[in-house]
Amino acid sequence: MNTRIVEYNDRVVRQFVVASAFWGVVAMLAGVLIAGQMAFYQLNFGTPWLTFGRLRPLHTNAAIFAFVGNMIFAGVYHSTQRLTRTRLASDFLGALHFWGWQAIIVGAAITLPLGLTRGKEYAELIWPINIAVTVIWVVFAINFFWTLAVRNEKSLYVAIWFYIATIITVTMLYIVNHLQIPTSLLHSYPVFGGVQDALVQWWYGHNAVAFFLTTPILGIMYYYLPKAAERPVYSYRLSIVHFWSLVFIYIWAGPHHLLNTALPEWLQTLGMIFSLMLWAPSWGGMLNGLLTLRGAWDKLRTDPVLKFFAAGVTFYGMATFEGPLLAIRSVNALSHYTDWTIGHVHAGTLGWNSFMAAGMFYWLVPRLYNTRLHSTRLADLHFWTGMIGILLYVASMWVSGIAQGLMLGAVTPEGVLAYPNFIEAVTSTWAMLVTRMVGGAIFLAGFVAMFYNLLRTIRSGAPATSTIEVPIPSVPPREGLGLVRSFFNAPVLYCFLLMLFASLWGLGRGMLSIVAFVLMVETALAAMIHMSIAGARWSDWYERLLESWLPFSVLTFVAVAIGGMIQILPTVFLNQTLNEDGAWQRVYTPLELAGRDLYVREGCYTCHSQMIRSLVGDVLRYGPSGRIAESLYDFPYQWGSKRTGPDLERVGSKYPNVWHFQHLLDPRSTSPGSTMPNYPWLLRQKTDLAALESKISVQRRLGVPFPQRSGDEIVAESLAQGKGIAEDLAKSGIEIAPDREVIALIAYLQQLGKTTEAPNPRPAKNPGLAAELSGRR
Amino acid sequence: MNTPDHDPEGLRPHSYDGIQEYDKRLPNWWLFTLYGAIIFSIGYWAYFHWTGHIQDGWVRVQGQIDALKLAAAGNSAAPEGRKLWEMSREPEVVAAGEKTFMSTCAACHGADLKGGIGQNLSDASWVHGGTPSEIYTTITQGVLDKGMPSWGPLLGAQRISELVAFVISKNPTIAEPSE
Repeated sequence: MNTRIVEYNDRVVRQFVVASAFWGVVAMLAGVLIAGQMAFYQLNFGTPWLTFGRLRPLHTNAAIFAFVGNMIFAGVYHSTQRLTRTRLASDFLGALHFWGWQAIIVGAAITLPLGLTRGKEYAELIWPINIAVTVIWVVFAINFFWTLAVRNEKSLYVAIWFYIATIITVTMLYIVNHLQIPTSLLHSYPVFGGVQDALVQWWYGHNAVAFFLTTPILGIMYYYLPKAAERPVYSYRLSIVHFWSLVFIYIWAGPHHLLNTALPEWLQTLGMIFSLMLWAPSWGGMLNGLLTLRGAWDKLRTDPVLKFFAAGVTFYGMATFEGPLLAIRSVNALSHYTDWTIGHVHAGTLGWNSFMAAGMFYWLVPRLYNTRLHSTRLADLHFWTGMIGILLYVASMWVSGIAQGLMLGAVTPEGVLAYPNFIEAVTSTWAMLVTRMVGGAIFLAGFVAMFYNLLRTIRSGAPATSTIEVPIPSVPPREGLGLVRSFFNAPVLYCFLLMLFASLWGLGRGMLSIVAFVLMVETALAAMIHMSIAGARWSDWYERLLESWLPFSVLTFVAVAIGGMIQILPTVFLNQTLNEDGAWQRVYTPLELAGRDLYVREGCYTCHSQMIRSLVGDVLRYGPSGRIAESLYDFPYQWGSKRTGPDLERVGSKYPNVWHFQHLLDPRSTSPGSTMPNYPWLLRQKTDLAALESKISVQRRLGVPFPQRSGDEIVAESLAQGKGIAEDLAKSGIEIAPDREVIALIAYLQQLGKTTEAPNPRPAKNPGLAAELSGRR
Repeated sequence: MNTPDHDPEGLRPHSYDGIQEYDKRLPNWWLFTLYGAIIFSIGYWAYFHWTGHIQDGWVRVQGQIDALKLAAAGNSAAPEGRKLWEMSREPEVVAAGEKTFMSTCAACHGADLKGGIGQNLSDASWVHGGTPSEIYTTITQGVLDKGMPSWGPLLGAQRISELVAFVISKNPTIAEPSE
């Protein structure tokens, strides 16, 4: 048989490795700085571009998309070429991907500190950068699938399944959560508002964790861990079961970020139970990683690569146990909005992502440069400093998070709050916040040691050329499964029927749902019996499917698309406010809208929620719990996910204007012990009233009933309202022009929680399925 | 899933870039957690949604608050003016009131009680009444149009009484109630 030599493209892999390590240092440096700001407000330096509200998005975006993003691309490009025994399909697209992605990161690092943001977590980047991300991601997808199409290895290994799921799902999530209408070159409003935006945001946000921080890393684990351990993977069939259950179930779990809020109850329940069901599929990945090490445990003593992999996979197991725990409604009532969540994500990002990245780099770099690791001892030091750093970080966040949750929810026998002053929960956890910063700094030190170690390794070697000899097939390869045989097959049909009956049972009523329940159980039993008889045939079918990348990808897409459709479409297409009586959100005045955009610009949502949960502690502290119709016109929604400061949903009129003025200028003058930054520039800068005309016209297109006004009328109305506030401030001896940003922000804050009567005529009262789905029973 | 070609527990023959796979059985305890979570979830949904035991959050919490208020009703009666005056002579009570004052009230009324955003509390002029009972009522109900929140629901009767005692102890112009 004739053969030919294939040379792998490792240049792009080397570039992504170095970029990942570099951006990792940057992301963690930003993390240590903002952790310091939580304990020492002086570290905000009184400058707009270094405040927590702007740097926190920079930290999260850099850690997720710059550090882990580049690491994923390095691992995917390197392992996919080997697993498919072919060179990357296009060197040009690979280079375009690399430089395009770095340009996006630089763009993010410039725009976020300038306050250019969309105000949605992990989706803050402004719309021109969103387009660039989409284009570059599609470049990646084309290059990847093109490589699969020209592969010399027929069967797709499990790592490739996870890469396919990653690329397809991230594309879907990113596009839907970034649907928006620009109001200018640098600003836009999302097309979803209020509860819809919350739901889409956490469908995206939770699955950014799932399909950006988890599935690609699982794929990387499946390649590099058995390589480093030189052991076979523990169980092929476990990888099948946990892959499909993981990608199907993960997508449903998003609403657990919105437990006890105004989100309709049926969605909250789905979020909780799917999170619980996610536990076993996640642990399937952990088991396949750890049990692959059986017979190689002795190597952990000497090999830093395996040390990092073993610890990384263990942290994955811990984080995926803690996740379902935190998604239980009653646990979430304590943990949500506190530091506990922060500790949880860092167990994942530091323990799982960062350690898996380190293991991969230590294995990969000597091979890419045809040399030996510069210092194994330094890598060991990195391991132990990293371990100590994570433990300090996570343990301090457990303590402070649980303390915050208990203190803020505590009620005395008199029926009032035990700690009525929010600041007590801040000051009493100060020592833990300092410990967290120290833990983060120790972790960063270890990471910097790794970067140095890798650079020294690179300098000691030279870029290696890696080749493989592949046969040139004399006959055209066997056709893969056709569409019919891929999809109209017993396992697929059973899954489809199960989901159909389960949906009809869960969402239907009366006889329909009873019949659906019986059919669901019968289908499950039939599938089990059928599998015990025809399992071998199913197994053959699956092996054929693994030789057909397109049908495999289509089935993956179907599996990840179902959850989102069932959860999101009802609230998009049905009138979300059918269940509301009475309270309805007021339409903002132009000045209030301008103030709201400042609230978004300064990242106030990174520390303040605007959602009073249906819990006794929340209601006693902040007032009646939030309702869906009260954030109808909020583009983007600002319910928030963390309370470093108190909830603001009903803060309007609670304090006089002068209180807000002094609080924004120096929070400690009105709230001793506060860690909020000073915002002196709000007193200097003028509100961009000229932008309001275009903003309001976009909001009108989105369905907000703003009255028709000209640009001049909008400016005049804003100045008139601003003058009222300025005159009120003047009574307290404060001279401030009515066109300053602080005035607009006060106008916005003072109307928070103000509602109006539901508009007339009321939306049609349809007691059918529509009412069901919008949450009313 | 066992095909005739290979042993069900054994190594699969195919190798991907040198990586082989066993085909071990799924651990029983793992299957138990998988099936257990699914069965629990079906049961949870059936109980709360299928049989209608779910309540909207805002309805549920209102019930809990009402129950709390009912249980606490006996503890939250406003004390008599005379009693507040006597409390102002007890150093421990005054100290407790001072602590609450400094954390909750000083931002507006000043640590020296001389006012700022809020009224001066150390002189003889009172906008909303200067007897112990009137001060108690003002704190409890607040003066919403002037930006003073109603502190009753937040602080409760005990802490508000201590606050009044502290203010009395600091303001010699407040007269001892006669009755």
